[in-house]
Amino acid sequence: MMQVQITGTMVLQIVVSGLLAGGLYALVALGLSLIFGVMRVINLAHGALLMLGAYTTYWLFALFGLNPFLSLLVSVPMLFVVGAVLQKLFVHRVVEAPELSSLLLTFGISIFIANVAMLAWSSDYRSVEFLTGSFILGQIAVSKPRLISFVAALGLTGLAFLLLHRTKIGKAIRATSQHRDVAQICGINVRRIDVITFGLGAGLAGAGGSLVSTMFAVYPEMGLIYVFKSFLVIALGGAGNYPGAFFGGLLLGLVEGLASLFLTAQLSEVIAYIFLVIVLLVRPAGLLGGRT
Amino acid sequence: MRRAFVLALAGMSVSLLVLEWGAGPTWGQEPIKIGASISLTGTYAKPGKYTQEGYLLCEKEINDKGGLLGRKVRYIIYDDKSDPLTAIKLYEKLITEDNVEHVMGPYSSPVTNAASTVSEKYQKVMMASLAATTSIWERGFKYLFMTISPAEVYLEGLVELAAERGLKTIAVMNEDTLFAKAAAKGAIELAKKRGMQVVFHEAYPKGTTDFSALLIKIKSLNPDVITGGTYFDDAVATTRQMKELDVNPRMYGVTVGGDLPEFYQLLGKTAEYVYGSSQWEENLLYPGIKEFVAAYEKMWNHEPAYHSAAGYGACRLLAEAIKRANSLDSEKIR
Repeated sequence: MMQVQITGTMVLQIVVSGLLAGGLYALVALGLSLIFGVMRVINLAHGALLMLGAYTTYWLFALFGLNPFLSLLVSVPMLFVVGAVLQKLFVHRVVEAPELSSLLLTFGISIFIANVAMLAWSSDYRSVEFLTGSFILGQIAVSKPRLISFVAALGLTGLAFLLLHRTKIGKAIRATSQHRDVAQICGINVRRIDVITFGLGAGLAGAGGSLVSTMFAVYPEMGLIYVFKSFLVIALGGAGNYPGAFFGGLLLGLVEGLASLFLTAQLSEVIAYIFLVIVLLVRPAGLLGGRT
Repeated sequence: MRRAFVLALAGMSVSLLVLEWGAGPTWGQEPIKIGASISLTGTYAKPGKYTQEGYLLCEKEINDKGGLLGRKVRYIIYDDKSDPLTAIKLYEKLITEDNVEHVMGPYSSPVTNAASTVSEKYQKVMMASLAATTSIWERGFKYLFMTISPAEVYLEGLVELAAERGLKTIAVMNEDTLFAKAAAKGAIELAKKRGMQVVFHEAYPKGTTDFSALLIKIKSLNPDVITGGTYFDDAVATTRQMKELDVNPRMYGVTVGGDLPEFYQLLGKTAEYVYGSSQWEENLLYPGIKEFVAAYEKMWNHEPAYHSAAGYGACRLLAEAIKRANSLDSEKIR
């Protein structure tokens, strides 16, 4: 067995890959964080919504040859509607209830969606073979689909921030997240804000799914690991803290990559969670603190 | 109104009786129930489905030929989600609640390893169709039977070929589960025996999707051969990411994955020049293969994989054993 010499180039390569993966984690986690911030609802169906986004892209590509990155224009609005409908029909019942109720409800929804997907599309693995290969910069390979996804994820995250900070509706969302009752007293229709927020969160999950589909296999249970990673990201960045979710995402991508480079792939997940425990011990509210 | 209802009910039950009668020699006797769990979802879903199709084709053929011991055969199959713990519960349920006579194995070594403890406990025969890891068979179980060749030789062909061509260095990676570990171990031992240098060996957890760091480490060693003890998903992901990271060995092979038609469907050109390993191919010259392939394609509208053949074969083997024992008694079948 030869000793792997870890060179600067290798570390750089992993930093690049890690950040590229992290951008996507950030996008997915942002949607989850948004919903949690406004409604205190832990949305376990987030992964299922991501999966629906991925299938949207897959089918548009497989049937009509639509560019997977353009299909964001379809998947995001579609998932917005799905999210809004879920909120109207089910989730509004648990908004003020204890967190366990929302866990149970969204878990049920996620099982339902995943199984319907399995019946409709079978559990076959599918992939969107659109862009393969990479740009070679010096000695570093930057995967094409990952780079474009990263840029798209950053763009969408930026748009979401603009929406939250610059628009009236965004301000209403943040106000509701800060104090529901006071927001209501100030004349904000919090029920409506809930619907919009869940729609937005679902839209972001759908966008994440569309982007994931260009890199990894698409199948009904694909969303599960992203839910776990999103929890990690949110705990790292601070629950309900939106910039925190962004940096948490990038950080998780980096930690995972570097851990599997310096140690082994088997240990990378362990290290990610140990890192979380340490962060929680030192800064219990997450790296950037609680809600903004 | 009520009378009409009763009459209708009576009419229905008569017609049901007639229907059953029409079904042939098995009327009045319970079918022989054979149980199995299969990975229909989760990471082993792809080969799992082929296995199930093999079982069901075998069930149909036995029944078309008049059944077994004069009774029909009925398969009860549940989805174990590729999870050994779920499989344990399902086999417990099959044996104690569904009262199956005997069981067929699930797909994959890890799941079989777990599930066979249940069939052994109840002294039911388990005909394992797709569990290739040697250690499963070294536990002294009395009611467990094997149909395919062991995991350790999966990569034998690849390593032999590489050694013959004078390739010197090999890097091995594998999923951190029973079968993949054994396949990797077999490849490493054989490579050493043939004088090749094993420059790298690392395992990754089941469900890994991002192999960048692992592949970069391998790339830095620039081995002639890269091989993996893989299942389907990880084989697809590593193949794809090798291309993205510009990892170009002289030879590259996987265990499960490269042999399935879906590998090519998913990866297209990227799948070319990748070696796969198989337990069975339809152009082998054993008797009955042509008939099997034709029947399989007719029933499922696609080609069989080696998993289908192993499932089908194991099922026929159990049927033959029952026929020769002329009994469903575990001891006699053994």
